[in-house]
Amino acid sequence: MFSKRIHAAWFGIHFVLITAVCLAGLLSLIAEGSTILPAALDRYARKAELGAAWLLGKQAAESSPVRQGIATYLHAAGVQAGYSFFAPNVPSYHKLTFELFYDDGRVEYESPRVRSKAAALRLDSLLDRLAESRYEPLREVVVKMLAFSVWRERPEVKKIRATFGSVNPPDISEFEHGKAETLQPMFSFDFSLRERER
Amino acid sequence: MTRLRERWERLLDFLFPPKTDMWLAMLRIGLGLQVTVYALFLRSDWHYLFASIGKGLVGRELGEAMTSFDSPLIPKLSWLITLGRSVNMSEETVLTVAWVCLFSAGCFLMLGLFCRPAAISAWFLHLCAAESGGLLAYGADNFMTTALFYLMLSPLPDRFAFDHWVVKTKAKNPELLGFWLRVLQVQLCFVYFIGGLAKCLGNGWWNGSNLWRALIRSSLNVVSPDILVRFKYTLPPLGIAICLLEVSYPIFIWMKRTRLVWLIGILAMHAAIGLMMGMYLFALVMIVMNLAAFGVPCTSTRAQATSKSGNQ
Repeated sequence: MFSKRIHAAWFGIHFVLITAVCLAGLLSLIAEGSTILPAALDRYARKAELGAAWLLGKQAAESSPVRQGIATYLHAAGVQAGYSFFAPNVPSYHKLTFELFYDDGRVEYESPRVRSKAAALRLDSLLDRLAESRYEPLREVVVKMLAFSVWRERPEVKKIRATFGSVNPPDISEFEHGKAETLQPMFSFDFSLRERER
Repeated sequence: MTRLRERWERLLDFLFPPKTDMWLAMLRIGLGLQVTVYALFLRSDWHYLFASIGKGLVGRELGEAMTSFDSPLIPKLSWLITLGRSVNMSEETVLTVAWVCLFSAGCFLMLGLFCRPAAISAWFLHLCAAESGGLLAYGADNFMTTALFYLMLSPLPDRFAFDHWVVKTKAKNPELLGFWLRVLQVQLCFVYFIGGLAKCLGNGWWNGSNLWRALIRSSLNVVSPDILVRFKYTLPPLGIAICLLEVSYPIFIWMKRTRLVWLIGILAMHAAIGLMMGMYLFALVMIVMNLAAFGVPCTSTRAQATSKSGNQ
């Protein structure tokens, strides 16, 4: 015979944690000012977001067992992220282009590639994340890894310039008038073989 | 005091309704299919996505470092690789074994063979892959983890599983079956309410521009923009319909009269996401979860009778 009380208690804790994750995500969108709500609410949303983060143990020290325990549970249950996909608005997508410089002066253009469409969706997800400010510290190392994946297939390349940009698609009326998508460069890195050897 | 007790009883009635295991069979078979398709879709890129730095796309270590920042206790593929090294297995071999195990777990789930071990293996291996993938993971991975997490905790095997025929297991407690069904149902209500609310807060969902932007994303545009332009007047009502369908899901999905309409609406939305945006895995897992939660009739007289006799 199972204990209804234990199950009910788990149910309560589980969904309180999910509520906190969802609220933190939603409040973060409001605090960033990316919703149609008045800007006056941004400040309060930020404060409330901190409350939700507290509930998830994020205010505790990194080594805190409570914080780590909650994080482990959330990841194990797949509920560590909120559910605001494609919201409040569908963001621009992103492109990473490599200029490959050869010794003989040739220049080729390439993008990071995967074989399957399912993996291509994941690559897009990676590029979209790189554009987020919270991933800024990782940008150079991730782009370097992606450049290296291209380099492995073309070992004769001497230098790679990686340019990352945001692609702004035209709206419907602009598309009808023949306007194409525009690329807004965000950052670029140069990688040379010498740098890799060092 | 009596009032409090009454409320507690009502809460228990809500949380533990006697149900049959039809929904569990649906979830098990659907997730088995999902895991199998996931493994097959990623077969050609599996090593490339999860190899270590210098061998793969970005290197598994980066995603794992980010995961470890949250907590070092979160499972990752490096655990398996370290374990493999202790018995002289190379990284490539361990990754291949992990893929084969994941694929097999999916097949076993579909058949209902070794249900519990298969569900636990599928959850663990998929979680390892999703966490090691780190930056490469997306929404479908989270939903797969959640669905597999609930499946492995649910009272398996169901009566349609091979295990049930072979071992002749006892019928599961209908109230326990009802509890896990409720968990899945409430989870979906959270998903759609939060998703719908967040969409309502964006102006692009009210004028159709978000649907346009979503459908013409370069990697997702299965439908040509030229065709979309022909249907431009349908985009604003469709965008509003999506917002309203999602945000009102927790209300209308519970009402018997509106349940079928809302369920069909949500299933159609996910089918469209799969077909028009190429997000097949995301579409499939959401369809499976919705069908298991609200699409299968589970209240049988047998379940009620068993429950009553159990309570007496």
